[in-house]
Amino acid sequence: MRNDLNAGVDTSAVITRGLARRFSIEWAVREVTFVLPPRSVLLLVGPNASGKTTLLRLLATALRPTDGSASVFGRDLVRDADAVRRLIAFVGTSAGVYDLLTARENLRFAAAMGGRPDAPVASWLDRVGLTAVADAPVRTLSNGMKRRLALARAWLTSPRLLLLDEPYSGLDSEGLTLVAEMASDTTRRGGSVIIATHEWERGMKMADAVLALAAGRPVEIGPAAQLTAADLAAAAGGTR
Amino acid sequence: MNGVLRAAAVARKDLLMEWRGRQTITATGMVALLMILLLGFVLGSEPGRAAAVLWVALGFAAVVGIPRITQSEVEQQALEALLLYPGSREHLYWGKGAALFIMLSALLVALLLLLGVLFSVDVWTHVGALLGVGMLGIVGLSAIGTLLAALVLHVRGRELLMPLLLLPLALPVVLGGVRLTETILAGTTSALWILVLVAFDLVYLLVCPILFEVVMDEA
Amino acid sequence: MKAQTALGAAAVLLLATAVYTSLLASPPDAFQGEYVRIMYAHVPNAGVAYLAFAITFVTSVLYVWKRRPDYDYIALSATELGVLFTGLALVTGSIWGRPVWGTWWTWDARLVTTAVLFLIYSGALLVRGLSDDPQRGARLAAVIAIIGFLDVPVIHYSVVWFRTLHQPASIAPGSLKIAPPMLVALMLSLLAFTVLFAYLLRLRTRLARLEAGVEL
Repeated sequence: MRNDLNAGVDTSAVITRGLARRFSIEWAVREVTFVLPPRSVLLLVGPNASGKTTLLRLLATALRPTDGSASVFGRDLVRDADAVRRLIAFVGTSAGVYDLLTARENLRFAAAMGGRPDAPVASWLDRVGLTAVADAPVRTLSNGMKRRLALARAWLTSPRLLLLDEPYSGLDSEGLTLVAEMASDTTRRGGSVIIATHEWERGMKMADAVLALAAGRPVEIGPAAQLTAADLAAAAGGTR
Repeated sequence: MNGVLRAAAVARKDLLMEWRGRQTITATGMVALLMILLLGFVLGSEPGRAAAVLWVALGFAAVVGIPRITQSEVEQQALEALLLYPGSREHLYWGKGAALFIMLSALLVALLLLLGVLFSVDVWTHVGALLGVGMLGIVGLSAIGTLLAALVLHVRGRELLMPLLLLPLALPVVLGGVRLTETILAGTTSALWILVLVAFDLVYLLVCPILFEVVMDEA
Repeated sequence: MKAQTALGAAAVLLLATAVYTSLLASPPDAFQGEYVRIMYAHVPNAGVAYLAFAITFVTSVLYVWKRRPDYDYIALSATELGVLFTGLALVTGSIWGRPVWGTWWTWDARLVTTAVLFLIYSGALLVRGLSDDPQRGARLAAVIAIIGFLDVPVIHYSVVWFRTLHQPASIAPGSLKIAPPMLVALMLSLLAFTVLFAYLLRLRTRLARLEAGVEL
C-alpha cells in the first residue's frame, strides 16, 4: 500500500484524502489519507471507539464525510454515492437479517434489492452451509448461522470492495473459513477487502497491509510484512 | 435497476413479515375497535354517526400503525442495509407505502363490517362505493404516513409526534372520508369531495417520494 | 447593524402610530362598537403569521435543495415567529369573538385552518428540538414545513365545504364592510406589524447564525 496519491487514480480500489467525520462536536475520524490498490486486503485495527466502524460506514456511503473526500474505484463517495453502492458490500456488527423470514427469503430479498433478481440463491446458501436450514425462520437459527447469512447476503452481490466490520465475532469455525474464502474470492475478481477488527491475529493471516487508528486518526500505515506482532498488539489496544 | 421490482420486493417483504408477525394489524385493529366501541357507547350508535366514527377510528389506527413500518426495520437493525442497496430510495417509499395501503385497507374491510353491526347501517348495498371511497382516503393516509414514518425515525418521542403531525396534515382526508361515506350511505355521492380526495392524493403522491429521499438521506 | 437599527426604529415608529390610530384616531364600528379595535391587532397578526409561513416554505425548499445553512437560519426564525404570531392571532381572534359573537371559538374555516397551521408548525419546531443531530433536525423541519404549506389551501377548503353542507357560514371577521378611516388604520397596523416582523426575523436569523458559529 502506498501513500502516493498521484498513482493510478482509476485503478485504485480506494483513495481517501483527509477523510473526516464529526458527530456533534466530537471527531470520530480525522485526516484519514490512504490509497488501497486493487486485489488487496487491508486490515483496519485500533481499540474500541477508534473510528474503525465510522471509517467503514463512510466508505459504504452510510455516512457523509464532514471533511475530506474519498473515491471507490474512481467513483466519488458523495457525488456518485449510488455508483459506489453498486460496487460495495458492507457487513456490519449486527447481522441485519429479517427474523421472521427464512434464510432463502432473506437472500431473495437482498438479491432483488441489489438489482440481481435472478441470483442463484440456492447455490449461495450452499456456499455458506445453510442449505439444511434454508427454509426455517431466521429467528430459529443460531447466531453463527445468522452471521453466515449476513455474509452470504454481501457475497451474492459480487462486490468489488468488501467492507467487513468485526467479521470474526460471533462466527463458528465454518464461518471463519468463509471470511477467508470471501476475501480471496473478492481479490481474485479484482476487488479489494477492508477488514476492521480488534482480533488482529486472525486478520493478519489474510492482510496485505495494515491501517491502525487511534482516536480517529491514522497512526500506522504500512505493508503487513513490515509490522511486528508487538506493533500490532499495541495498535490494537492490547486486546487479544 | 428496476424500480418496480425493488418496490415490489419491499412491499412483499413487509407484508410477509406482517403476516407472520401480525404486530401492526393487531395494534391498529385493537385501537380501531376500542375507538368504535367507546365512541359508539358514549355518543350513541345511531346510523348517522357511523361515518364519523369510522374515520376517527381509522385516523387513530393509522397513527398507531404507521410508525411501525419503519420501526420494524430499526428493530431488526436492517435499516442501514436497506439504505445501502444501490438504487433510488424512492422505491423504498413506494414499497412501504403499498404495504401500508394494503394493511389499512384490510382494516377498513373489518371496520365496515363492524360498523354495519354496531351502528345498524347497511354496508352491503353500496359496499363497492364504500370500499372505493375508503381506499381513496387510505391512499392519502398512506402517502403522508410513509413519509412521516421515515421522518420520525430519528426523532425522540416519535409516538407522541405521530398524531401531532399526521392528524392535522391528513385532516382533509378525514373530512372528505366522512362526508363521502355519509353521502354513500344515504344513496348519493359527492363529486366535490371525490375531487378533493383525488387532488390531495395526487399532490402528496407526487411530493412525498421526493421528500422521502431527503429524509432518508445519510446519517 | 445600521440596517437593523433603522428597521427597529421604523418598527417602533410605525407601531406607535398604529396604536394611536387604532385606539384613538379611528372611529368605533356601528355594529361592534369599540370591540372592533381588536381587529387592528388580530388581522395583522394573522397576516404576518401567514407571511412567516410562506417565507418558511420558500426557504425550506431552498434549504432542502441547496443545503446552504443560511436558508435554514431564516426558516427556523420564520417558523418561530410564525408560531408566535399564529398563537397571537388565535388568542386575539378568540377575544374578539367573545363579546361580538358570543362565543370564544367558531369552527369557521379561517380559524380552524389557522389552528391546524399552528399545530403543524409547532410540530416542525418540536421535530427540530427532539432531533439528536441538529442538521438532520433542520432537514426534517424543512420537510414538515413543505408538506404543511402545500396542505393549507386543501385544509381550508375542506373545512369550508365540510361545514356548508350542515351549517350556514357564520360571520367571519373579514366579511365586515370597512369604512375608509378604519381601513387606513388597518393598513397602517398591518404595515407596522410587518415591519416589526421583518426586524424580528433579521434579529433571530442573526442569532441563529451566531449560535451555529459558536458550536463549531
